[in-house]
Amino acid sequence: MKFKKIFTDFFILMALTTNISFIVTPSSYELVITVAANLAATILKIGEGRILSTELMASSLVADLHLVPALFLYFLGDVGEATSLAVGALAANVISVFLSIIETILSVFTDEEE
Amino acid sequence: MARKRKFKKLRIRKRREQKLIDVYQRKLVEALSELRLPVLMLHFALTFGTLGYMLLSDGDFINSFYMTVITIGTIGYGEIVQGSDTPIGRIFTSFLALSGIGIFTTSVTIVVRLIFKEDIINLYRAIRMLKEIENLSGHFIVCGYNEITARLVKLLRKRKIEFVVIDGRSEVATKLQEDNVKYFILEEPFKRSILLSAGIMKAKGMIINLEDDARNIAVIVTARLLRPERESFLIYSFAPTEETAQKLEELGANRAIVPARLLATRISAYIFHIGSAFISDLFDRIAFGEESDIDILELGVSEASPLVGKRLKEVDFRRKLSVTIIAIRKSDGELDINITGDTQIEGGDTLILFGSPKNLRKAQKILEDFERAERLIGGRVEV
Repeated sequence: MKFKKIFTDFFILMALTTNISFIVTPSSYELVITVAANLAATILKIGEGRILSTELMASSLVADLHLVPALFLYFLGDVGEATSLAVGALAANVISVFLSIIETILSVFTDEEE
Repeated sequence: MARKRKFKKLRIRKRREQKLIDVYQRKLVEALSELRLPVLMLHFALTFGTLGYMLLSDGDFINSFYMTVITIGTIGYGEIVQGSDTPIGRIFTSFLALSGIGIFTTSVTIVVRLIFKEDIINLYRAIRMLKEIENLSGHFIVCGYNEITARLVKLLRKRKIEFVVIDGRSEVATKLQEDNVKYFILEEPFKRSILLSAGIMKAKGMIINLEDDARNIAVIVTARLLRPERESFLIYSFAPTEETAQKLEELGANRAIVPARLLATRISAYIFHIGSAFISDLFDRIAFGEESDIDILELGVSEASPLVGKRLKEVDFRRKLSVTIIAIRKSDGELDINITGDTQIEGGDTLILFGSPKNLRKAQKILEDFERAERLIGGRVEV
């Protein structure tokens, strides 16, 4: 069991789940936690030497670039626009989770090869 | 066993030769990964503070974030957020300040130290340089940077010939930067991956001066294994003695130069030509590439060339190409210096042309292109 991977995967999943919960029931706290989880997932991917690290980082950055403006729009009163941006971020987060699963499968073969 | 075989079939990543750029990129990634912990700590402190103030102020995000930043950033403009002036608010601010200020200063220090640490900047520069080297072709590789090769690269630069310097000594880096050497690799040149990263497969030649016979041999052998053809990839090496020079040439160097012999020959040339010092010096300077306005070019004439069978006055190099034939080396190695307008060009001859470097280059291009050479003989003056 790799604790580093647990920590990273926890935030990747957390980013997705909090994103969904914000879309279902938009609230300021949900949004802040979603942004925080997404940013934490991005930070954890910096310098990650995994097989699909580039793709994981790119998808995470996409989610961040949707959610950070959504945060400001939400507190400036445009809840509708913030929610639609969060839906965009959700797509990126779903891809991120899929990539993480693919990466895990690939790493099993690579480890076996080594 | 069966399971192992199954996984072998499912091989996903093909093993390939590791390139230096990949090694540097991995090192950079590793260096960047050190940023994660301080940035993450700072991120958690900001999130914790923002959420805490949001709870106190009933969801005022912008002010809560601002209050967190000014608290952990030791700015402390005051209690801006609603509810932060209450006892609970002050307990929270005290707790946030005590933990947050430490996290903030530690994180900022680590991040700044990592970013400005020489390694990260040097690695980034090296990666960028290796990417540029990948695009080079027809360049020279200079192994070992010292007094002689430093002078050599200046001459190469003067002739606008691209080159890559390889030297394993890290202390050479400052000298290379002072001398404005554009492309250099600070690794041992006898490694196969290093030579490949220096673009050996597309290079024109290599100069080896590592001040150690064993290392010179190692580089020559490695380079010759990668580029076995002596005509298309030239290797010039330095050797301390005649015996070593012979060995190096047998191992793959096109020419091994003994500096002592070279110097002695050059000085003796001055002594032997005291009466004709100017012309002797001029030829010397041309031969050593120190004369930039005049040059000599050897041009081989193949059997299929339209020049074969033509007399020199028919071709009229001087008028049509502004170059002069000063001698012809015959296929048997004999040098004919008594040439006249009636001298006939034969297949296998090497014409020794004299002129300005620009005109020589132009002449070479035309004469090597049979169609253009045909037109030239037909009487058309090439411009």
